[in-house]
Amino acid sequence: MTEQHRFGNNPITCHAWNADKTHVALSPNNNEVHIYQRNGADWKQVDTLNQHDLRVMGIDWAPKTNRIVTSSADRNAYVWSQDKDGKWKPTLVLLRINRAATCVKWSPEENKFAAGSGARLISICYFEKENDWWVSKHIKKPIRSTITCLDWHPNNCLLAAGSSDFKVRIFSSYIKDIEDVPKATQWGAKMPLGQLMTEFVNQNAPVGWVHDVSFSPDGNKICWVSHDSSINVADATKGNGVYRLRTEFLPFLSCTWVTNNSIVAAGHSCIPVLYTLDKDGQMNFLAKLDTSAKKESGGLSAMKMFHSLDKQARIEISDTNLDSIHQNQITCLRIYEGTKEKATKISSSGADGLLVIWNLNASSLSLENLKI
Amino acid sequence: MILLEINNRVVEETLTVKIKNAQAKLKNESIDITVADFDGVLYHISNINGDKTKIRTSISLKFYKQLQEHGADELLKREYGPYLVAPEPGYNVSVLLDLENIPENWQEYVKKLGLLKRNCFASVFEKYFDFQERGDEGQKRAVIPYRDDETMYVEAKSDRVTVVFSTRFRDEDDVVIGKVFMQEFREGLRASHTAPPVLFSHREPPIELRDTNATVDNNVGYVTFVLFPRHTARNTRDNTINLIHMFRHYLHYHIKCSKAYIHSRMRAKTSDFLKVLNRARPENKSTDKKTISGRTFIRRD
Amino acid sequence: MSATLKPYLTAVRHTLTAAMCLENFCSQVVERHNKPEVEVRTSKELLLTPVVISRNEKEKVLIESSINSIRISIAVKQADEIEKILCKKFMRFMMMRAENFIVLRRKPIEGYDISFLITNFHTEQMYKHKLVDFVIHFMEEIDKEISEMKLAMNARARIVSEEFLKHF
Repeated sequence: MTEQHRFGNNPITCHAWNADKTHVALSPNNNEVHIYQRNGADWKQVDTLNQHDLRVMGIDWAPKTNRIVTSSADRNAYVWSQDKDGKWKPTLVLLRINRAATCVKWSPEENKFAAGSGARLISICYFEKENDWWVSKHIKKPIRSTITCLDWHPNNCLLAAGSSDFKVRIFSSYIKDIEDVPKATQWGAKMPLGQLMTEFVNQNAPVGWVHDVSFSPDGNKICWVSHDSSINVADATKGNGVYRLRTEFLPFLSCTWVTNNSIVAAGHSCIPVLYTLDKDGQMNFLAKLDTSAKKESGGLSAMKMFHSLDKQARIEISDTNLDSIHQNQITCLRIYEGTKEKATKISSSGADGLLVIWNLNASSLSLENLKI
Repeated sequence: MILLEINNRVVEETLTVKIKNAQAKLKNESIDITVADFDGVLYHISNINGDKTKIRTSISLKFYKQLQEHGADELLKREYGPYLVAPEPGYNVSVLLDLENIPENWQEYVKKLGLLKRNCFASVFEKYFDFQERGDEGQKRAVIPYRDDETMYVEAKSDRVTVVFSTRFRDEDDVVIGKVFMQEFREGLRASHTAPPVLFSHREPPIELRDTNATVDNNVGYVTFVLFPRHTARNTRDNTINLIHMFRHYLHYHIKCSKAYIHSRMRAKTSDFLKVLNRARPENKSTDKKTISGRTFIRRD
Repeated sequence: MSATLKPYLTAVRHTLTAAMCLENFCSQVVERHNKPEVEVRTSKELLLTPVVISRNEKEKVLIESSINSIRISIAVKQADEIEKILCKKFMRFMMMRAENFIVLRRKPIEGYDISFLITNFHTEQMYKHKLVDFVIHFMEEIDKEISEMKLAMNARARIVSEEFLKHF
C-alpha cells in the first residue's frame, strides 16, 4: 500500500531518513529543518534545526554515524550531531563559497561530504581531528554553472555532479590525508583530488539542465535526468556510451537506482516512474508507481458550494485535481526500505507538502512476469 | 434620468423654501448662497443691503456680452419684466424676489427664475429662428464662446437654421467614446422622423466654418444640427431650445457615465479574475475552529 | 467558442504546462540573491528559447521561460478603436492592482498588452496546473469581456441618442 503523510501546505524542499527510518528530517521550504519522529500513522516534531538564515537547499542523514548535514542558500553548511539528551547540535562548516550551497551528500563511508554550489564549484569537506575543524577542498574546473546535484560512487572517492551547464561530470574526490589510495575503477585508474574522470556532453541533441544524478549500486553505471524530459544512462563497462531515453513526461527532478538495472525517476509530472535497462543497455519504460484514477470530489454540500463561489468564483462544484497523489512537482526521492541493490520501498516529497512512501514490491505493482 | 433637467433645481428649491416660510409667517433668515451650473455659470442668491425680505438672484455668464449682441436683454425684459433690477456687481443679470410682495403665481415665477440660464441662451436661438422665419439670409452668423475653448455657431438660412457646437474631449479615450455616441446620433433619424439631422466631424470644422478661426485639434469635435422650420416654428421652438442648448452636457454626461460603467465592470471582472487565481492556492486543510465557549467547531464539508 | 480559438488555447495550455516547470534557483551572479532569471538575464544557459503562439496577426502569446521563472505576454484582440481603448484601460486597471494579482507583471513586454511573471515561489505556493488554468481562463474571458463592454457602450449610445432625438 502507498502511504501518504502530510506536513502542512508548505512545500517540502527535501527530506532524509535516519538509519532505521523512525525519524525524518525535512525542510518546509524555509530556513528550518524539522525532525519528525514516527509514531504509527502520526508524526511528532522532536526538533527544529534553525541555524541557517536562508532557505535550506539540501539535507543528508548519515545512517552509520547518525549525523545530519544541511546546506543552504546562505552559503553555509552545518553538520548536526545528537548529544546525550537527543538534541541536535550544529557545527558550522566553512565551505569557502560565496554563492548558495545547493546540494549536499555524505560519502558512503561518512568520513567526508560533498556540497555543490552556485559558485560553480564543489566543496569536499572532511573532519580534521588535529584542529577539531571541518576542512573544505574545492573542485572547480571545468564547471561552468551552478552544481545542481551530486552522487557518490560506492568506492567513497568518485563523485558525480550534474550542473545547469547541461553537463554531467565525474570527479575524483580522493583526500590523501584521511584515506588510502583507491583502487582503479571502470572510470579510470589515476585519481588525484579534482581529477575530471569523465564528462558527458549532450551533443547534437536538445539539452537541458541536469536535475539529478545517481550511480548504480555497482558503481559502473551512472544515470541522470535533465530538463529535456530525458533519462540517461552511461555505462563505464561499455566505453562510457550514453543511452538517452526521451520520455513523454515533464522533466524529472530526481532519480535513483532501485536495483542494478532499474531506476525510479520523478519530477514535474508528479508521479514516480520505473524504468529498466535490458542486457543491451536499452532503457524501457516499465510502470508508473502512481496508479490513482481520477478522484471524485466529495458529495454536494451547500456550505462548500457557497464557500467556493465566494472565494473562487467557481460555479460548478468539481475541483480540478491531477490524477495523481502528488498535486505538485516531486522534488526529492529517497530509498525508504532496502538499498540501491534491492529497494523495496521509496519515499517521495514535493511542493504540495506530501511525503509519500511507495511500495516497489513486485506483487503490488503486479510485475512478477516482468522481472525487474 | 436620461435627459438632463434644464432648470436649476437648487435655485428653485431655495426660493420655494423662502416663499413658503414667508407665507407661514416665519421669521426671514438672511441668505447668501452661490450655486454653480453648467458652462461655468454662477448663481448668487442674496439679500439686497441686508434687507431679509428682498432676495436677489443674480447670474453670471462669461459670454453674456455675446448674448447681449443677440438680444438677451430684450428677452429677459420680456420674461422677467418688472422683477429685473440693476445687475449686482460681478454678475450680468439680477432678478428680485420681494417676500413682502409675493406674486400670486409664485410657483410659475420661481420656475422662471430656475430657467434664468436657459433664457439667457434662448435669445440667440430666437433671434435666428426669426431670421429664418422671415427668410432673412444675409445675417452674420452668431458666435457664442459658451465655454473656454468650446464655441457655438448659429446661422440662419431661409429654409433652415444650423447650430454648430465645437466641443473638446478631455483625452484620446473620450474622443473615441464620443465618436461612438455621435455615430448613433447621426443615425438617430431612424428612431424619430421629426428629429433634425445631426452631423459630426472630428478634428476639422465643417465646411461652412472653414474660413473662420475655428480650432483644428485632435481632441475637438464639431456637431452640427440642421433645424428645419418644423423645429423653429413658434409652437415648437421652446422645446427645441430646451433640448439643443443642453446637448453638449448631455453628450459629455453620458460619456462619463459610460466610463463609470466600464470602470465598474472592470472592477468586477478583476475581482473575478482574482478569485480564479485563488483556485490555485491550496485550501487550508485544518478547518476546525473554536466556538466562543471553547468547543471545537468542525466544518462538515 | 470559435473554430480557431480552441486549438489556439490548447496550444497555449500545452506549451505552458511544459514551460512552467520551475525550480528554486539562487543567483549565481549576486551573492544571497534569488531573482527571476527570465528578468535579470545574467546567465544565458539558464534561459530557454522563447516561444510565440499566434492565432492571427494581432492575437498572440509570447512565452519566455527560464530555470526559475516564466514570463507570459499576451496580445489581446483589438478589432477597432473602441476595443483598443477598452483593452488599454482594462489592462492598466489590472496592472495597477498587480500586488493583489501577484503573478501579474507591472508592465507589459513591448508589443504585448499584458504580461504575467510566474516564479518558482508562485508554483510552490500554488498548484501549477491551476495556474495554467488561470492563464487560459484569463485569455478566454478577456476577449469576451472586451466585446461585451463594447456592446454595452454601443447600446448606451443608441438609447441616449434615440431618447434625445425623440423629444424634437
